[in-house]
Amino acid sequence: MAAGPIERKKRFRRLVEIVTGPFEDKRRYREYKARTERLPKSYHTAIEALHRYMLYFGPGKADSLLRMLEDLADLFEQSAANGTPIREVVGEDPVEFAETFLRNYPEGQWIGRERERLSSAIDRAARDET
Amino acid sequence: MGKQVTEMLKGTLEGIVLAILSGRAAYGYEITAWLRDQGFSDIAEGTVYALLVRIEQRGLVDVEKVPSEKGPPRKVYSLNAQGREYLEEFWRTWSFLSERLEQLREGGE
Repeated sequence: MAAGPIERKKRFRRLVEIVTGPFEDKRRYREYKARTERLPKSYHTAIEALHRYMLYFGPGKADSLLRMLEDLADLFEQSAANGTPIREVVGEDPVEFAETFLRNYPEGQWIGRERERLSSAIDRAARDET
Repeated sequence: MGKQVTEMLKGTLEGIVLAILSGRAAYGYEITAWLRDQGFSDIAEGTVYALLVRIEQRGLVDVEKVPSEKGPPRKVYSLNAQGREYLEEFWRTWSFLSERLEQLREGGE
């Protein structure tokens, strides 16, 4: 049976997405960027800096990465609306805040794989001892 | 607020927030404001928010989006049955810890 036009379109899209990555992810990312650009200047500067840091240490999977950025945008929009000063949003130690925040998105963090490796190496060592 | 209280708060903030939510539903900003009023003046809004994200992920709270006059809709958090259970466990752990510490201070066992 020949595929209908919708089915053909879907199949075409799947083929293109193999090369480009999902369109849906791109749309979410663009939406997140647009939200950050609507923030007042100081909030925008702060969220960009956090974003940069979190790309290094954050989740490797697109979906959790986007979820993390969207949650971050929620926080900053809310804080801007309430007029909470940046210092009160991220605290005295922004690294500490970023780390606390990152722990909510462990999926695919490279450091996560290293943590697992460490734990299983110690497990093996402890087993050999007995 | 000194460094020491910040460190101690790290381990207990989750229980504190759940205890606040056991009284009534609240949104992030209200919780932070309450903590600041109670003398935890260095607490960051973002730290409380990260914690709320976590307890939501772990299914300890129910979340409702409520429209607000200024800015985006607010997420209102309320404690659910699983959260209540977790809070009870927190209080048991807390009692254990504070009793032992009190014994230490009095130079007992």
